[in-house]
Amino acid sequence: MSPTALTRMKAAPHAHAEEIPGGYAGKLLRVNLTTGKIWSQPWTPDDMRLYVGGVGLGAKILYDEVGPRVNWDHPDNRLILATGPLAGLPVWGTGGLTVVTRGAMTNGATSTQANGFFGACLKFSGYDAIVIQGRAPRWVSLYINDDAVELRDARHLLGKDTWETQDALSAEHGLSGHRLSVYSIGPAGENLVRFAAIQGDYGHVASKNGCGAVMGKKRLKAVCIVRGTRALAAADSRGVIQAADDIAHDLKTDPSARSLYEWGTLPAVTGLYKMGVLPIKNYTTNLAPPDVNMADWEGPKLRQGFDHRGHQCSACGMHHCHIQVIPKGKHKGELVDEPEYEGWSGAGWAIGCTDPVAVAWLNTRIDRACVDVNEFGWLCGWVMEGIETGYITRAQLGFDLRWGDAEGAARLLQLISHRKGLGDLLAEGVKRAAEKLGGAAQDAAIYTLKGASPRGHDHRARWDEMLDTCTASTGTLESGIPVHVTEVGLPPRINPFNGEEVAQQVAGIRGRRHFEDSLGACIFTTRTRLENICRALSAATGWHYTVDESVRFGRRTAAILRAFNLRCGIGPEVEHPSKRYGSTPTDGPAKGQAIGQQWGKMLDTWYTLVGYDRKTGRPKPETLKKLGLDWLHKDLWGKKR
Amino acid sequence: MKVLKIVPEKCTGCLRCELACSYMQTGAFQPAKSVIRVSPYEGHTSYAPYTCTQCAEGWCMTACPVGAITITPAGAKDVVDDRCVGCKLCTIACPYGTIFYDHDTRKAFKCDLCGGAPACAEACPTAAIVYEETTTADWLADFAVERSARLLASGAR
Ligand code: SF4
Ligand code: SF4
Ligand code: SF4
Repeated sequence: MSPTALTRMKAAPHAHAEEIPGGYAGKLLRVNLTTGKIWSQPWTPDDMRLYVGGVGLGAKILYDEVGPRVNWDHPDNRLILATGPLAGLPVWGTGGLTVVTRGAMTNGATSTQANGFFGACLKFSGYDAIVIQGRAPRWVSLYINDDAVELRDARHLLGKDTWETQDALSAEHGLSGHRLSVYSIGPAGENLVRFAAIQGDYGHVASKNGCGAVMGKKRLKAVCIVRGTRALAAADSRGVIQAADDIAHDLKTDPSARSLYEWGTLPAVTGLYKMGVLPIKNYTTNLAPPDVNMADWEGPKLRQGFDHRGHQCSACGMHHCHIQVIPKGKHKGELVDEPEYEGWSGAGWAIGCTDPVAVAWLNTRIDRACVDVNEFGWLCGWVMEGIETGYITRAQLGFDLRWGDAEGAARLLQLISHRKGLGDLLAEGVKRAAEKLGGAAQDAAIYTLKGASPRGHDHRARWDEMLDTCTASTGTLESGIPVHVTEVGLPPRINPFNGEEVAQQVAGIRGRRHFEDSLGACIFTTRTRLENICRALSAATGWHYTVDESVRFGRRTAAILRAFNLRCGIGPEVEHPSKRYGSTPTDGPAKGQAIGQQWGKMLDTWYTLVGYDRKTGRPKPETLKKLGLDWLHKDLWGKKR
Repeated sequence: MKVLKIVPEKCTGCLRCELACSYMQTGAFQPAKSVIRVSPYEGHTSYAPYTCTQCAEGWCMTACPVGAITITPAGAKDVVDDRCVGCKLCTIACPYGTIFYDHDTRKAFKCDLCGGAPACAEACPTAAIVYEETTTADWLADFAVERSARLLASGAR
């Protein structure tokens, strides 16, 4: 245990209210499901500055409390639901939740986000994070209403999907809308589908690394927070409002965020298609079928094809999350969450489905069953290709499943969620299913050797994300989107097919994403200059938080997560794309661009720049020193410095 | 005279107005103490903000036995803390339920139009709350008539 372990906080005297920096509730909520014990733990202002919240806080708790033998399904695994210092403040999009745990896909660290109102509700109840351990003797839900925190019998909720669960809990408590934030698992989580997600507030999903399977293993069906009544003070409230206004101005006007402001992630479909980044039919092509007019897939068209309305997260002014109604066909009248770009790809293009109405319907089915839409896309596309080429037979599956068949895909989803028939194998995710079948089946599957699912792109034309996904320690990518890169001294533009430049960029922006994911904010509403975000954080807390500190903080978090993974036996040997994932596109805009040829070099450059040892994957002693992580030295290098 | 008007179809339920209002009312962010409240309807799909409309005939003001409710220069009915005895009569008298009782201060509290610069309207990202001139003191009735006519014409239920 390191000398700076958060466990030290147990002994910390109950901090006086005035000592807690603004923006913080000042307490963590601890829950032991095995014993039913619930307690609150204050944390110190020093730790707040060091670990901020979200993934920063979660990484430290995970490192301190989850040992190498505590696998993802072990009761001692921690499920950390953390928000951060901006949650509940009027900065746009600050209802944020970061889930940190040892996840089922990689059996390593996880950092995955969702929004809605969770973070705000939690903060107004007086907590910055919930740390859950143990395994309930029978299914429970966690109920939080200011100081009343209880584990409640959840057996009557079993089998309900995530939306039904929220409906039922809302009805039980007589609270609707954002007066209650509910994050839950559906059947897929209950049945330990390895890529199960945690879904909340009708359409927000912490989807990565099987965090829903961890929750299922703990027999925790739902976390249900009544919006608390406590006051949240900021050190400089006017300053927070001013920083929020500046961020909003940037989001509305800056070219890197403006279309996101106006249409959410919808414009990405055609935007990425033009670059060969839209994944089509399990990476077998990058060209739309001749009968599809890409103009029909422009953002405004996608939205206006539905009766829709805004459904934004806490204090968010982006025109991003919407809720809509299926306008025609078999499911006419059903309420669905407007798909994200990731939905249009995972529930659509990746499986050859180019009917927006069908995609919108399937996408919400996926959220309701609660699996990761990216992994579902890779898995379902792989099954469809298998039926077409023969490595999976109709008889094995029990029905026919052709490209683009959304109804069939929903049937597959049911099989998987309940682990029925072939669904039992498929519930392990495409990597494990493909490795089991081997041969052509294995060659066709999209995954990372580490086990993390790539996001919903064709990364063969987006090399930065392939490198990030393969090297990250979070069960997804961790360095993030290259926006405002000149702020951290990087060139404004690079050649996306020059491995060297790509690796420099991924290493150079490192830190930003973990910082964003520690604030209780959304990666879309933080798509502004870091300087603005730091200003909001400084106004909230009263610190003088600089851009340098934010980057250093993010890199420190990344190093802690990496140390955790190394201790779990996950190292550089699995930092590789699967054969199909790392292949060369045979048509479309990125035709012939072969990342495989530059991969080794890219890793060399990346390792040099991030200051990790190429062979062992460990952060080098001088890197640890620079990041203020001397306490990790002994664990990583075996001797005291 | 300027009044706060709401355009419910623009509201997304982000609750930013509640944060801003609670800050004006208490100096901290605490939606439980906001005097603008956003209510969900049609299940969880639609939201509408609502606060005191500063009605021409202020029933809260008429009901108050100690005359603690006065009209501010901005035209808002406001509770004078020094005079309020916390009897809650005003909260019963208000037909819209937009005057509240604070258990901590033991006083009634309500929208004071932020002294003429409403923070909720400023905070709303979608302009679902606007602060505008109105020609008639009974603008709420006009609003209701206009809205019903529009909805009926558009065939909405
Ligand atoms: S951009 Fe979207 S996900 Fe992010 S806070 Fe706003 S509505 Fe929520
Ligand atoms: S005008 Fe001011 S006091 Fe009235 S509802 Fe708006 S923010 Fe609250
Ligand atoms: S700030 Fe505007 S959009 Fe958000 S809840 Fe209030 S009225 Fe609705």
